[in-house]
Amino acid sequence: MTPSHRPILWLALLVLLLPASGGAAPPTSVDGVPIDPDAELVVALTADTTNLDPRLGMGSIRSNYIRQVFESLVDVDRQGRPVPGLALSWKPVNDLTWEFALRRGVTFHDGEPFNADTVLFNLDRMFRKNLDRWGIKDVPAGTAFDKVYPFVTRWEKVDDFTVRVHTSEPSSSLWDFLGREPLVPRAWTIKHGVEALNDKPVGTGPWKLLAWKRKDHMLFERHDGYWGTPGFTKRLRLQVIPEAAARIAALRAGQVHLVEAVPPLDTEVLGKQPALRVVSSVQKLACRVYVNGRAKEAYESGGQDGLFADPRVRMALNLAVNREAIIAKIFHGLALANASPVATVAYGHAPQPPYPYDPGRARALLAEAGFSRERPLTLQLLLPAKHYGQAFDESVAAVVEMLKAVGVQVMVQTLDFGTLLQTLTKGTLPPNGGFAACRTSNNLDADDFVRDWASTTLVNWTPYPPDLLALYQSTRRQVDAGKRLALLAELQQRVRDWAPVVSLYQEKKAYAHTARVLRFVPTQELNMDFRGVALRR
Amino acid sequence: MRAFLLRRLVHAVFVVWGVVTVVFFLVRLTGDPAALLVDASATREEVAHARQVLGLDRPLYVQYAEFLTSAPLGDFGLSIRERRPAMRMVLEHFWPATAQLAFAALVLAVVLPIPLGVIAATHRNGVLDHASRLGSLFLQSMPSFWLGLMLILLFAVALGGLLPAYGWGTLSHLILPALTLAAAPLAQNVRLIRSGMLEVLQQDYVRTARAKGLAERGVIYRHALRNAAGPFLTVSGLSLGFMLSGTIVIETVFSWPGMGRLIVQAVPGRDFPVIQAAVFLFAILFVAVNLVVDVLQGLLDPRARVFGDGG
Repeated sequence: MTPSHRPILWLALLVLLLPASGGAAPPTSVDGVPIDPDAELVVALTADTTNLDPRLGMGSIRSNYIRQVFESLVDVDRQGRPVPGLALSWKPVNDLTWEFALRRGVTFHDGEPFNADTVLFNLDRMFRKNLDRWGIKDVPAGTAFDKVYPFVTRWEKVDDFTVRVHTSEPSSSLWDFLGREPLVPRAWTIKHGVEALNDKPVGTGPWKLLAWKRKDHMLFERHDGYWGTPGFTKRLRLQVIPEAAARIAALRAGQVHLVEAVPPLDTEVLGKQPALRVVSSVQKLACRVYVNGRAKEAYESGGQDGLFADPRVRMALNLAVNREAIIAKIFHGLALANASPVATVAYGHAPQPPYPYDPGRARALLAEAGFSRERPLTLQLLLPAKHYGQAFDESVAAVVEMLKAVGVQVMVQTLDFGTLLQTLTKGTLPPNGGFAACRTSNNLDADDFVRDWASTTLVNWTPYPPDLLALYQSTRRQVDAGKRLALLAELQQRVRDWAPVVSLYQEKKAYAHTARVLRFVPTQELNMDFRGVALRR
Repeated sequence: MRAFLLRRLVHAVFVVWGVVTVVFFLVRLTGDPAALLVDASATREEVAHARQVLGLDRPLYVQYAEFLTSAPLGDFGLSIRERRPAMRMVLEHFWPATAQLAFAALVLAVVLPIPLGVIAATHRNGVLDHASRLGSLFLQSMPSFWLGLMLILLFAVALGGLLPAYGWGTLSHLILPALTLAAAPLAQNVRLIRSGMLEVLQQDYVRTARAKGLAERGVIYRHALRNAAGPFLTVSGLSLGFMLSGTIVIETVFSWPGMGRLIVQAVPGRDFPVIQAAVFLFAILFVAVNLVVDVLQGLLDPRARVFGDGG
């Protein structure tokens, strides 16, 4: 180290240590507006979480609760970009090793220090290793890391604040699929058991869980020792109000400050009220019609290939859908059309030319594929009604009529979501079958989207042909960021043309809040972020 | 009486066993909870692993045998979604939230119809009778979720937050959901009392009572009402079942953290242990209330007695 480097290093050290010191009192004003740091921010959500253990799954409902308490190595900024969370940095050391440098001075709400041992313990849980050694139970995990990422072979502590993860093949998105998993305390979990994580857990997050009245509310208190920007209210109450009209009534009555999932029709009305604000953000939720393009040996086919194995047929279906009309009439603009298989807000997304609305070309493609008025294409469409919301159900009804208009005979069978999953698990979708569903992601990277067609999963009914599979695998193994982005862009363009699904829309989520709420910015992630959110005095 | 009660208790055990057995097998026909726990991008192997962790990969008869031995002890296993004891969850949601709501609605639906029905009958074709019939028709035709939302808009928004729009814990929180839940059975009971009273008031013994010079109030409430109350009592007993199932909608509209909300999540989530525990509790409550109604009917009307004197 040369003397000239010392000031820079000391400055870097200071920058690293400053946030870790935490505990700074929240301000009494933001943007020149006096705030009430002792207030309770009341937020109305659509549903309660059923548990708080991140291993049980990180769906859209759970995330809203879990991420208030727990944090992950990689955090996300308001624009959806990855930023340091419990890790200050991450980098590939070589093609088969990633290194995470951990944040120092972070403690869990009970005082347990966060360090490399915490990360190793969590990796053990994620990959189901050493559970007996730690004396903890296995749980029915939302993501079975050992099965989804079998190439992650081992992890090691380099020092108290550095962890390395080794793989058997290059893995470009390891920073994301490991880095976004919320981390639980080691000693606390071993002492209290994994069941306790579902009751009143402690994390490193900005909010400490005070009370949980199930199906009613969860009450949090600001974590004053938080390393980053804390909440600017003393308390946060996540109040469950399942019915949209009741949520809005509670907001208008001033009984809650902020509501999520405002139906598209209500946004315009609420936006005109001077005491209320309506904000929205693009989400990763992509809604689609999946169709059976599996080969007969890949499902309970009765000896028939899926009727939609021909890409021309799937492209015809895509060209038959008038997305602009759906977005304008049903969503009132609160959705967008995205022809890429990757959500527009995911890392690695490459914009693709939209599928034009061209019923004439759709009919021509169907004719090319051998379908005619005498021998029409049939689609037995399974619709999980009332699962994704009214706008989804209405959109699918509109799409059905659009498909009929180009000569497709569509038979809709409404069923509940569990029954649909039963069919998909058993692999008993008929050869002319399809289903309408949405998928989202707990991750930031495009890989979570493009791996949909790589192996036989619940939603993969049009597996990649060999050339696309090879291209996909190369995106996974290319660790150089620039080269990988180029490969991802090529893959997205080719998947767009290959059209594995009938792409419908990507959701924008609307929120409404009173004018008292300051600095609330909706995220593009599954959770809301209340760090820095204040209530006007 | 003792033999009657004993017989009914034995019947009750069989009824409850039958109900939970049917539900045990039916819910397993409707789908696999393991697929609901994993990501949509899960492979069949991941689903199979989740099923194994949950113990659902064992033969059905083994699961049923385990259920039969543990359920009578109140052990319905761990909730698949919450990983907590299922019966504890059910009881947490039943008491006090659902019990409070159902009891308040039951009181409204049983107590209010008596004066309203009597007044309507004694003022037949008068203004009060017409108003009572019209009101009953209105309340019975109203879908409960719509009525609930209208009450929220009126009392929580239009009247400046006179009553809370959501939540649980105080009397003011209870008023709107209890009114909404009670509306339909209340209206039905008013009509039952009215028609029963109209029939009874034509009977000879009422004329005789009046001829003996008894006060009109005594004639109506001691003689006529007692005889007109039979069907009302039977229907009121059944109303409890309606109340308990009605809580599913009402609790959702008013964000009431009771059993209805628990079931709303448990059924689509295929949370077998919670569904079974909830059905077990509902079946016991239903059987118990019907037993009480039978006994009360016998006490009120000797003709309806199915106990005593070998009857």
